[in-house]
Amino acid sequence: MNILVCLKQILDPDIPARDFRIDPERREAVRGSADLVTNIFCENALETALQLKDAHDGMITVLSHGSEEAEDVLRKALAMKADEAALVLDDDAAQADPLQAARVLAAAARKLGSFDVIMVGRESGDWGVGQTGGLLAEELGVPFIALVEHLDVDEGKLRIRRQTDTGTEIFEVTPPVVISITNSENNLPRIPKTRDVMKSYRKPLTTIAVADLSLTPSSDSYFRLVEISVPEKETRCELVEGHNLEQRIDAFAHRVAEIANTTR
Amino acid sequence: MMPAEATREIFWNVPFPWLMYVLLVPTVVVGGWGLYRRLRLWRTGGPAMRWDRPKERLALVWRHAVGQGRTLRRAYSSGRASSSSSVFHLLITVGFVVLTMATTVVMLDHDFGTRIMRGGFYLFFQSLTVDLFGALVLVGIGIAMIRRWLQKPSRLVFTDEASAILIAIFVVAASGFLVEGWRIAATHDPWGPWSPIGYLIAQGSLAVAEPSTLTTAHAVVWWGHCVVTFAFLAWAPYTKLAHVVTAPLNIFFANLDGHAASLRPMDFEADDDATLGVDDLTKMTWKDLLDLDSCTECGRCTAACPAHTAGKSLSPRDIVLGLRDLMHDGAETLLAAPQDDTDNAPALPILQQTGALSAESLWQCTTCAACMEVCPVYIEQLPKILDVRRYLTMEEAEMPPSMADAMTSLERRGHPYPGTRLSRIDWTDGLDVPVMSELDDPGEVDVLLWVGCATALIERNHSVVRSLAQLLQHAGVSFAILGREERCNGDAARRMGNEFLFETMARKNQALLERYGVEKIVTPCPHCFNTFKNDYPTVGGDYHVEHHSSFLAKLVDDGRIQSTQAAEHNVTFHDPCYLGRYNREFDAPRQLVQISTHGRTPEMEQSRENSFCCGGGGGLSFTEEPAEQRVNRQRASQALATGASVVGTGCPFCMTMLEDGVAAVTGDLPSDDAAAKIPADSMPADSMPATRMPAKRMIVKDIAELLWDATEASPDT
Repeated sequence: MNILVCLKQILDPDIPARDFRIDPERREAVRGSADLVTNIFCENALETALQLKDAHDGMITVLSHGSEEAEDVLRKALAMKADEAALVLDDDAAQADPLQAARVLAAAARKLGSFDVIMVGRESGDWGVGQTGGLLAEELGVPFIALVEHLDVDEGKLRIRRQTDTGTEIFEVTPPVVISITNSENNLPRIPKTRDVMKSYRKPLTTIAVADLSLTPSSDSYFRLVEISVPEKETRCELVEGHNLEQRIDAFAHRVAEIANTTR
Repeated sequence: MMPAEATREIFWNVPFPWLMYVLLVPTVVVGGWGLYRRLRLWRTGGPAMRWDRPKERLALVWRHAVGQGRTLRRAYSSGRASSSSSVFHLLITVGFVVLTMATTVVMLDHDFGTRIMRGGFYLFFQSLTVDLFGALVLVGIGIAMIRRWLQKPSRLVFTDEASAILIAIFVVAASGFLVEGWRIAATHDPWGPWSPIGYLIAQGSLAVAEPSTLTTAHAVVWWGHCVVTFAFLAWAPYTKLAHVVTAPLNIFFANLDGHAASLRPMDFEADDDATLGVDDLTKMTWKDLLDLDSCTECGRCTAACPAHTAGKSLSPRDIVLGLRDLMHDGAETLLAAPQDDTDNAPALPILQQTGALSAESLWQCTTCAACMEVCPVYIEQLPKILDVRRYLTMEEAEMPPSMADAMTSLERRGHPYPGTRLSRIDWTDGLDVPVMSELDDPGEVDVLLWVGCATALIERNHSVVRSLAQLLQHAGVSFAILGREERCNGDAARRMGNEFLFETMARKNQALLERYGVEKIVTPCPHCFNTFKNDYPTVGGDYHVEHHSSFLAKLVDDGRIQSTQAAEHNVTFHDPCYLGRYNREFDAPRQLVQISTHGRTPEMEQSRENSFCCGGGGGLSFTEEPAEQRVNRQRASQALATGASVVGTGCPFCMTMLEDGVAAVTGDLPSDDAAAKIPADSMPADSMPATRMPAKRMIVKDIAELLWDATEASPDT
């Protein structure tokens, strides 16, 4: 089983609200003192791939589209015991929309070899669009299954369990296939051993300049970012009054109804 | 007829005295082998540098081996001083030293032709003194027997060997008295009364037996005494009594740099394949192995261990004894040629599934160093625990889940609090605190105020650092903070065993501090303080760092801060381990407490170097523990027992651990309001009775808060 896992580096979504700022001109978040981390759903995907490899053998390649700093994401994946890593270097990667990203990833995947399964995270922790996986499948011309929480290999076929709003669906698929992985209690990313972290820095890492992928520049994106802003939150505290509990509950209910009506 | 000069005949009534010299040979050979078989095991250990500063080392041996300094200290158990158990040890040791001197005198006169054993010396020393000190041995053995067989304190290990040792010592001493007494009786020794115990035995025996019978009995018991004593000497090196030799050795080779620097430095560049941490007894240093053979099974370490006291399975004593047994059971493996270190399974694996050497127990250690503080023979338990943690963390990535979360957060965000909504500068709101990156010339700043993760990211501690910053401003100190650029300096990573992460963080921090030309650091966190002071120098960082207690105390001494509105409440001070035991700063915080209040400042039963950990060190503040096994509750109870209404401290971890502990013990909810009003003292300072009534309520305050409340500039009044 030859597996490709796509990893995206994002601004740490766990930074305190106070430290999160945006640049309205450039329409992007300001890095500030925030750290860059691997998108958590991508880590779930990697963990799923690692478990598949542990159970059935295989080869895991990790791929990222990003700036030089995205190397950290790949090194960490190598430390978690991915076998090979490739970085598509693109200083404008942060501005890429899902379609652009999917085209880059598809071109890189073709360049890297042939894969039975290509895994992506459910969505990214920064924009949360959740479309790169589907678009990537389209670009590669293979099936796509979204929100997968578990997969297994059975006589060359993949048994895939995906979450739906009403329950779970089980698919049987013949590779190649693109799947997006959702988080579950079974795919919490493992903590790499320090020995493997140390070794990860000595492993080779393929770097591909985005220009070398000979993508035709296109302006046909379906996706346009118009404006971004941080929603302003206002908190006010009001105390309702009344002589006894009943009156206070009454007053409270009235006030809630009032507010609901004005904001409707 | 009275002989002209007082003395006695050596080997009187002893048949075949030459046989004694013959028996001496197997005694020395067997006993010597007992020691040599230990020595050759130690020699298999890895290198450790313990030959420097010989004068200091000898002084330590003088104080703690000869003078038994630590043995004579009061031992603590469950927060109370236990009855002095060391008296018996002193009696037996001193008694045996004198008895050995007496035997030496006999040897000199008989075998080397001197004529010492006569006259006044014979009467006063060889008879009277030796007799009395022999009696002390019997008294000591009696106390030891009562302890071991009747009182049975739980810190002892109840082995047949230990009982046999007591019986052997008793037989040796008692038979010596019989020999003496029957000689006095049978020879009608005119100097007999100079040996009071022997004389009493002589008189008693003459009342029931003929002198001729006693002469025969003397010869038999003399040989009995000789054989038992020789057998005892030959056997002792195979038992815990070997500590007569190993303890002084171990004290000589003690770690003179204190607990703080006792973690072995690692070189991640040098050897790619060497196992990280220690999971294998064959990878220990010779000093580690000597430690194991020095243990006397006294159990003070386990009695002092806060985790053990709180009911957890951690037991430093059993770690040492477990490793000791592993060493002797695996002697052949140790002595075999060293294996090469690549990916081999451990030859003598240390980790066990259950018990003292299980991962579960080893993760319970708060790294408080109480075990090392009380060990009479200077065994280093803590580095052994941390060496195994290093292995677990770095080679196996196995640690309690909440610690793993903290570690991941450290890696990603430079602090151990995943999910915190606080930023590093939230506490500065409304205060004009300069930030290094916003200054035109950061080099002009005198002092870097290193806030620390636990202070910046735990809301309760904001009031602490606000008080500190305002005190510094009030005193006119030129200082700045790193603000959002500050990152954990690595203590948590190091104590959880991730030395690699520690070094990575240390290097990043050093680069940052270098950029701002930082030379002097003040911090309200003893863990950060210790890391800068003792850990950074081992990875190439050298700063002048002070804990805020000593820095503020100097400002007070210089008159730059004055306490003008000292409060009335009674304050008991809790020594943070990393400030007190690790860095021996006991007085500065107490000085600040003293000037902050007119009330009493009672001490807890365990304070200063005997302080009882809050339970939060070593990464334990990031874990959830079973409620009934929480160390902080034990400590809170001890603080409440003083009757004080405030427990002062100087550590952000102690702060939260003690607040939670007090809340749990008193049933109070922890106060959200950092500036919580101090509850009325459970009794006024001047009427506090000698027997303290436990306080019903108590709040926890940092010394900076206490001092700020007491200064004129504080707006709170």
